[in-house]
Amino acid sequence: MMRRDVMFTCIALTLLASTAQTQEAPATAEGADSLLARFSDDSDHFTQTDGAALYRTTCQACHMEDGQGADGAGAHPPLAGNPKMNSKHFIAGVILTGYHGMPRFGDMMTDEQVAAVTNYVRSHFGNDYADPITPEQVAALRPPDDED
Amino acid sequence: MAMTPFNPSRRQLLAMIGQVAGTAAMYQAMTSLGLAQESGYTGPPDLQGPRQGRRVLILGAGIAGMAAAYEMRRAGYEVKILEYQNRQGGRCLTIRGGDRYTEMGGHEISCDFQGDGYFNPGPWRLPVHHRAVFAYCRRLGVPMQPFINKNNKAYLHSAHAFGGQPQRIGHVEKDMRGHVSELLAKSLRQGELDEAVSPEDREKLLEGLKEWGVLDRNYRFSVSDDLGDVRGWDTRPGGGLMPEKSPSQPIDLSPLLQSGLWDQLFNFNGYQFEPPMFEPVGGMDRITDAFAREVADVIQLNARVTRIAQNDNSVTVTYEDGGQGGTVRQESADWCICTIPLSVLVQLDVDCSDAMRKAIAAVPYASAFKVALEFRRRFWEQDDWIMGGISYTDLPLVQIAYPNYGFLSDGPAVLQAAYDTATAGRNFTYSWSSMTPQERIDAALALGRQIHPQYDAEFMSGTSWVWHRVDWSLGCYGQWTEDLRDEHYQTLCEIDNRLVLAGEHCSHIPAWLEGSLLSALDAIRRLDQRENA
Repeated sequence: MMRRDVMFTCIALTLLASTAQTQEAPATAEGADSLLARFSDDSDHFTQTDGAALYRTTCQACHMEDGQGADGAGAHPPLAGNPKMNSKHFIAGVILTGYHGMPRFGDMMTDEQVAAVTNYVRSHFGNDYADPITPEQVAALRPPDDED
Repeated sequence: MAMTPFNPSRRQLLAMIGQVAGTAAMYQAMTSLGLAQESGYTGPPDLQGPRQGRRVLILGAGIAGMAAAYEMRRAGYEVKILEYQNRQGGRCLTIRGGDRYTEMGGHEISCDFQGDGYFNPGPWRLPVHHRAVFAYCRRLGVPMQPFINKNNKAYLHSAHAFGGQPQRIGHVEKDMRGHVSELLAKSLRQGELDEAVSPEDREKLLEGLKEWGVLDRNYRFSVSDDLGDVRGWDTRPGGGLMPEKSPSQPIDLSPLLQSGLWDQLFNFNGYQFEPPMFEPVGGMDRITDAFAREVADVIQLNARVTRIAQNDNSVTVTYEDGGQGGTVRQESADWCICTIPLSVLVQLDVDCSDAMRKAIAAVPYASAFKVALEFRRRFWEQDDWIMGGISYTDLPLVQIAYPNYGFLSDGPAVLQAAYDTATAGRNFTYSWSSMTPQERIDAALALGRQIHPQYDAEFMSGTSWVWHRVDWSLGCYGQWTEDLRDEHYQTLCEIDNRLVLAGEHCSHIPAWLEGSLLSALDAIRRLDQRENA
């Protein structure tokens, strides 16, 4: 929730010169490189291949670093301890076609990538499902008129 | 083999029209299909008003909810707005120095801007044909200033072209025009277009191409003082005994085509972005603040709606007073106008038809983000002669927008240093959304310094906004597709017993204030008709 922090503003004004110099120094070149590696090399398709990297550059935005999701007026559901994770087909299907407000990723990820993310989220955050999905099984889930 | 009749989808049809007849014709066809309409605003809604006391409960104090409250109260309805946040304005907001926001996941976004620069995370520019927005700004007294969308001095940039050196928009545009004019003139003069162009038209066309593309007497696009007058100078004309002027050198066609910068130029082509554009003086929230001045007395803040119940005669909304976990209260009314984003509404307990429930659940919410950075000085003006406008790049920051106010002033100023939405189909916005607030600033600096090397020396502080980490919208706007619209749009907008939805998601202009306003105006017109039927 937004608040105008009057007290902070007063302090900030009195410390104007020093805060301007010290806050949020630009990242070192090394740190920036690993940060920029989070972006896909291709704006149309994700170029990351392993589940952890794909999770970190897409799903994490809503389901968070720890897979716990977040809530407020509305919620991003947790992936940790969520009984819906039981079905690999459901999870892969959600990634392919979206679900409620969640956008679809089917046209930006290959079957291999969708399988990698599905298997990643079902084997992390305390999840331990022993039945990974294969790219072939993902392919079978794609809607028949999936032109993209 | 049986002949299969060709029944193209709307998308295929539009693509065909675009290929054959150009984007203007495609746009015209889109308008025919209702995909890119001129604003449907025709004037203030002419409401009859209720024949007896009628209460309207409005959910959400964004522009749609406040406009509905404003107009319905004027027509004689009793109105009340329930708003989840401790502020009104919805997605139309402005961030200034001192503001704090805790986004989903618990990350704190701070804004420590020290100058008078500000940041509009949502809507930030207004095309003139968005007539409802302009009409309300006039009625409610919101001063406007020009918003420079296209500045020929701003840059187009590719990390993979011209050694990473950005090129001026005006240069790319005029060079493309020159080269294409030369090629067309060549074809015409070789008689290759004789079937398409009559001899009389051919002469007119050649004459025009000479002017338009700045071709020499042999119809060649080449360096000349005439070109200097159109494209600019390497040595600008001076006074007294200053050096003799010399025209600038055009970029060759092939490197220009291969650079991708021509494609970036199309960012300015859309009707939505036609100059002149405008913005409210002082920040976009001046518009929603103006509505709030009219209706603040009927807005209840910090009310988290959990259930919308209705029967044939009334609607009852349950909410938590004081936010999540607050005292549970109920409000009843004759009508309910719900402007809650579908991404949130789908998670609430709502009495409505199965078809409407499916429609509410069907629409994904688009990813979008912005990063804003404050710098010690306006180096883009002082060093690069960029006064307002937007530079585009193929780097993941996609665009840098320069402030259209405070020109030439000393002291700090704010750039909108990175922005993209899912509309364009790029995946960068998801990656930005997955970063912490500090990481977004670091990434915007690391990428932006490739276009403006002054970043390192002049940076002061940054802030950002990620729409998927906003708990009251869970994304930026309804990401309709043609198929989804065909299946669900009509149902979504129809009055369901005592309930009607409104907001940008109930419009053909998603993500824009105009869409929200038109949706609200249409919803209250229909409610008023139903009331007086």
